Amino acid sequence: MEVALEDNNLMEKVLPPDEQEIDVELEAKEKKYLRGEGANLESVKDKKLKTQLASREKLYGKSAKAAAKIEKWLLPASAGYLETDGLEKTWRIKQTDIAKEVDLLSSRNQYDIVLPDFGPYNLDFTASGRHMLAGGRKGHLALVDMMNMNLIKEIHVRETVRDVAFLHNDQFFAAAQKKYSYIYARDGTEIHCLKERGPVARLRFLKNHFLLASVNKIGQLHYQDVTYGDMVASIRTGKGRTDVMEVNPYNGVVALGHSGGTVTMWKPTSQAPLVQMQCHPGPVSAVAFHPNGHLMATSGKERKVKIWDLRKFEEVQTIHGFHAKTLSFSQKGLLAAGTGSFVQILGDSSGGGYSRYMSHPMVKGYQVEKVMFRPYEDVLGIGHSMGWSSVLIPGSGEPNFDSWVANPFETSKQRREKEVHLLLDKLPPETIMLDPSKIGAMRPSRRKEKPTRGEIEAEKEVAIEAAKSVEMKKKTKGRNKPSKRTKKKKELVENAKKTFPELEEKNIAGKKRRIGEDAAAELPTSLKRFARKN
Amino acid sequence: MGGLKRKSSSSAKTLAKSKKKKGPHLPNSILKVIANQKRPLNSDEEDDDVIGSDDEHGGDLYEYEEGVPEEESRKNNRYDRHDNYDYELPEDFEDENVESDDDGGNSDNDEAEGDDDDDDDRHTRMLQSLTGMPSAAFEGESKSKPVLFTEAYPEGEFNPTRDVLEGKNVLTEEDFLAPLEGTPGYQKTSKQIARMRKDTKHVVHAPLPKPQRERLERKAVIGLVDEEFSKWVHLVKKNREAPTVYFNQDVDLGYSTVGAIASEFQPRTEFEKKMASVLNDSEVSEAHRDDGARLLELNEVSMEDHIKDRNHIAKMRSLLFRHELKSKRIKKIKSKTYHRLKNKDLKNSSLGALMDPEMAKEEAMRQEAKRVEERMTLKHKNTGKWAKRMISRGLNVKYDGTKAAIAEQLQMNANLSRKMNSMRDGSSSDESDDEEEFNDGSDEDTPSRLIAKAKEKTLKALEDDEVPNAGLMSLPFMARAMKKKNEEANEEAKRALEEYEEWENSGGENSKKTVNVSGRRVFGATAKVETPKESRKDSDNFYDDSDSDNDMAGIEDNNIEPVRDNASPARNTITDTEKFDDDVAGNPASKTTFDVAMFASGSWKKMTGSKNTESKKASKKTPAPIPQAQDKKGSRDEESEDSESEAEEMVDGILTSASKETFEVPSQAELVNRAFAGDDVLDEFEKDKEEVLNQEVPKPEKPVLVPGWGNWTDIQRKRGISKQMVQKHEAEKKEWEQGLKTRKDARLKHVIISEKVDKKAEKLHTTTLPFPYTSKEVFEHSMRMPIGPEFNPSTIVGELNRPEVVKKTGVIIKPVKFEEVNPNDEVDDEHPRNHQKQKPKKKTSRRQGKVKSK
Repeated sequence: MEVALEDNNLMEKVLPPDEQEIDVELEAKEKKYLRGEGANLESVKDKKLKTQLASREKLYGKSAKAAAKIEKWLLPASAGYLETDGLEKTWRIKQTDIAKEVDLLSSRNQYDIVLPDFGPYNLDFTASGRHMLAGGRKGHLALVDMMNMNLIKEIHVRETVRDVAFLHNDQFFAAAQKKYSYIYARDGTEIHCLKERGPVARLRFLKNHFLLASVNKIGQLHYQDVTYGDMVASIRTGKGRTDVMEVNPYNGVVALGHSGGTVTMWKPTSQAPLVQMQCHPGPVSAVAFHPNGHLMATSGKERKVKIWDLRKFEEVQTIHGFHAKTLSFSQKGLLAAGTGSFVQILGDSSGGGYSRYMSHPMVKGYQVEKVMFRPYEDVLGIGHSMGWSSVLIPGSGEPNFDSWVANPFETSKQRREKEVHLLLDKLPPETIMLDPSKIGAMRPSRRKEKPTRGEIEAEKEVAIEAAKSVEMKKKTKGRNKPSKRTKKKKELVENAKKTFPELEEKNIAGKKRRIGEDAAAELPTSLKRFARKN
Repeated sequence: MGGLKRKSSSSAKTLAKSKKKKGPHLPNSILKVIANQKRPLNSDEEDDDVIGSDDEHGGDLYEYEEGVPEEESRKNNRYDRHDNYDYELPEDFEDENVESDDDGGNSDNDEAEGDDDDDDDRHTRMLQSLTGMPSAAFEGESKSKPVLFTEAYPEGEFNPTRDVLEGKNVLTEEDFLAPLEGTPGYQKTSKQIARMRKDTKHVVHAPLPKPQRERLERKAVIGLVDEEFSKWVHLVKKNREAPTVYFNQDVDLGYSTVGAIASEFQPRTEFEKKMASVLNDSEVSEAHRDDGARLLELNEVSMEDHIKDRNHIAKMRSLLFRHELKSKRIKKIKSKTYHRLKNKDLKNSSLGALMDPEMAKEEAMRQEAKRVEERMTLKHKNTGKWAKRMISRGLNVKYDGTKAAIAEQLQMNANLSRKMNSMRDGSSSDESDDEEEFNDGSDEDTPSRLIAKAKEKTLKALEDDEVPNAGLMSLPFMARAMKKKNEEANEEAKRALEEYEEWENSGGENSKKTVNVSGRRVFGATAKVETPKESRKDSDNFYDDSDSDNDMAGIEDNNIEPVRDNASPARNTITDTEKFDDDVAGNPASKTTFDVAMFASGSWKKMTGSKNTESKKASKKTPAPIPQAQDKKGSRDEESEDSESEAEEMVDGILTSASKETFEVPSQAELVNRAFAGDDVLDEFEKDKEEVLNQEVPKPEKPVLVPGWGNWTDIQRKRGISKQMVQKHEAEKKEWEQGLKTRKDARLKHVIISEKVDKKAEKLHTTTLPFPYTSKEVFEHSMRMPIGPEFNPSTIVGELNRPEVVKKTGVIIKPVKFEEVNPNDEVDDEHPRNHQKQKPKKKTSRRQGKVKSK
């Protein structure tokens, strides 16, 4: 058996620098950074544009090449892996076996914190993976520095805590408590009480938009902007109570799992769900998103885990045999599922679909509440009924962190700087959409939705009301007769009314013409000349 | 007379014919053209035959016979009667000029008719016998077209006679020379004329008609202009295609260091030159380089020099001392008047101005003020009362004193109003001076000197035939043309030299007289192309015109050349585009990979992949370790098998009670089905979907009969719903179905994708395509790459975001200068033309080597 964790490069094979291999590798990376193909320049007729685009493409190519080279040479740490030889199976390897193989620093990440009193723990990590927040069901909140295993702050709120979530950095965190949710500072002081949301079941923070999303007991979804405290949207899902909620890190769309087996996806600017998917026949117990945003994993109570492709909204894979109370994707795409006292890690090593990669049985009787991979580490955090534990999952974390995105070794000064940058780069809530790459593109052409009769009537009413409430000017003596005034007012109202039937007629006329055209289009060519032209 | 008669009869004939035949009606002008085309091509005789035969046949099918105009036909008295004067001259009409005009050529004469007839007869007979053709064929030649010419104006200088126009009986040089025979200059002039005749090159041809000449000129000019412009094409193209144009290459702030200034130093004065020669002396520098010993040797001063030096110093000292003494003495003088006078002196003298810049400035200011005042008032320009009076009464002429006073005033005015510093004028007029000098000299010079000068110049011109070895003139055909031209010029120059020699021998005076012919007529375009100076100096008509001739030739040469030149850029552009296409095609058609970060590290993937296959192999080879894994369901694939075993595994990890259930998969499915039998989730979802679809794509309402609406109820009942309504409904339904089909979730039964318009998000999209784009796809592809510093390596960010024009503030943008551009050079943004180094911004440099993946 061979085990390698990202941070120790002891096991790394040193290949002779073969030029060709490097080339192939670079090419693959380049492709990644090119973000898809350029437009087909053959179809461009404008010569000037063609040359412009060609030069642009050249620059893009150059950029991608440079990026690939940087990745190749400046990001040297490679991801960890787990390799077996012979009949060994990776999922048979126990944590104790791994502990023997890895270096001391990594083996420190295997531990169990036993806190039996305050019941199943929820976990959250900061984006850099430096800090962890643990929220015990019975009111225990702990903020831990994972680098040196230092307990930064520990408070007890003496209330049910249903969920915890970090805000944009480790300075603030939110906790969903019995009646309201609260925002606490790093030192445990309560900063805000978010009463508007009601008893919240799940809390998630949208990092790029600075929105704190929550779903409460009666199935209402709230989006609150934490920069200025406004409630951006409060949406009634109409699907009943749920405590399955996850954010798609790619586009900021929030997914809710419902008892009817549907998963709905939401954005703050629309009251109706963007997508509704019937994923399972039974209630959905967990949802998770792949970091690239194209894969979603759902688990139903009927002992099935399904992987979905969100580009096509089609099922990619169904994994039979178990259901997960909690699901989590790692940065490298490993999927962790926790049920009862058992944690299963699935991997898509061959590209053919998720299959067993590792498993971790906990002590019998422990109930896993939450599994979550620690970013930039090969570590899986498990919150359960008896505290929380941490296990090593080789190959789960991204080996090279980007200090401009998330820096585990951030100094306070850097953190402050970063905070300002984050605020400056904050995205407005309307940028949340299924395909954010369409921002800046052409507006999708669509049929104009015909207003229903009721809407038209309502509009008409409003127009009439507006006409009635127009303040008449006070004119000079003699011109200010009440009779004239009433006449004028009547005229105004009539005018307001007039616009509506006219519009309807116009629509009809337009339709008539279209029908005629259609008829002409449907006829065989030989008979077309006889079609009536009107 | 006879001619006229004949003509009239023929016209009568044609009239008669026109009544008989009617071919296609061609306008007269076309007929004429046809006739003209026919005629000059063939030889005279045959041609005439053909025409004669044509006449015989009385017009071909394509001959147009003009009908009688309606006015003349008098068909139905529609027009007033009027007389037709054509061809109706009275019988006794006689043309007076006929006699005087004949010239024995073609035209016949009344008196000589008989003789001519005889002659003609004989001639035709002779022809008949020779050719064997009927006599009728030859009759047309001699008799059909007698020409009668009448002269409208009396013969004169501006109205030459016909034979002169036709080139007959023209006066020749001999005619003019004949009376001169025997006079002293005769020999020479006749010789000259003889040479002139031989000299075919310099024959002066009659100038071309104006339109033709102008056409040629235009052609030549177009060629030249084209050539001139086509030079710029590459430059303009390059600038157009460049993604960025730089306007900061000309920023030259001058010298940056003292050393740079010093290196440019050129000794000008004698002293400086001396110093330079000493400083740059190789001996001295060598001595410096070696060691001090040689330097000492060089340093040695002779005794004489030393004494001289000493004396000089002593003299200077004594002078200084005296000056000191004098100044001391003057300083001691306490008289105020003395000092005042002295100061005044100093001020007035230009020396004072020279000494003290302040004073000079003041002086200049005062002068300027005076000048302005003078210019304003014109006080001294005879505008004063007194001056006017004096001038009006003529006193200024009468009295010398007044005259002098007025002159003085004018002088004063001139002095005052003259601009003070005219330093620049002198320098600017330097260039023109040379020419003037030359011209002046030529005016004053004696003829012999003049000739000598001309000779010298000619020789010089002969000597320097430099062939340029670069640029356009170095092209082979250009070189050939140049050579030809040069040869001609040389020949001419030689001839001129000969002439000069002759003149020198003969004394030159009379030659000068003959040379300057006044009042010559100038035909054609006056040549502006530079002519050798000597030929212009003593130009006679021949040379000048020959010049123009040469010029023509030159132009023709040029005509050929721009055509070639035009062709070459076209070819270049073609190759350019080809290259471009190649580039486009050459790009490896990379497959679209949308997931950027999904499998960031290929190595890991590879490794695990190999491992996986291995493990799979192993699993295949070895019999399944767990007997229960042998499934009842053979149809399941390996993966599910895996999961099965995993389930089992998981079970043996923890609970044993649950494990038993997993073995019986069908029963499990059944169980699941049973467990969820109660709530029909799928149906509910379908209902939901329908609802949503109805909302977003509303279903058209079914037409309903409203009793009494639109018709009587009984009729309604009979007819049912009107056809029109049904049709409309059907169309709506079709539209609705279409709408449903085009939805994204049309084929996905388990998915509802909302297609509601998000009005808030609409501002994030463009409604129209930005200008140069015509296709949405291309535009969106071009938008795919982020260009910010967060997403690109810092080395490329600058290039990606560089504006179209790079310019420093305050830089003056000068018009495009011509520079040689290789048209095949690709526009490269990497290496901007000015090689200006891009200073990376502070921010980006900080982010060195940082890449963010989406």
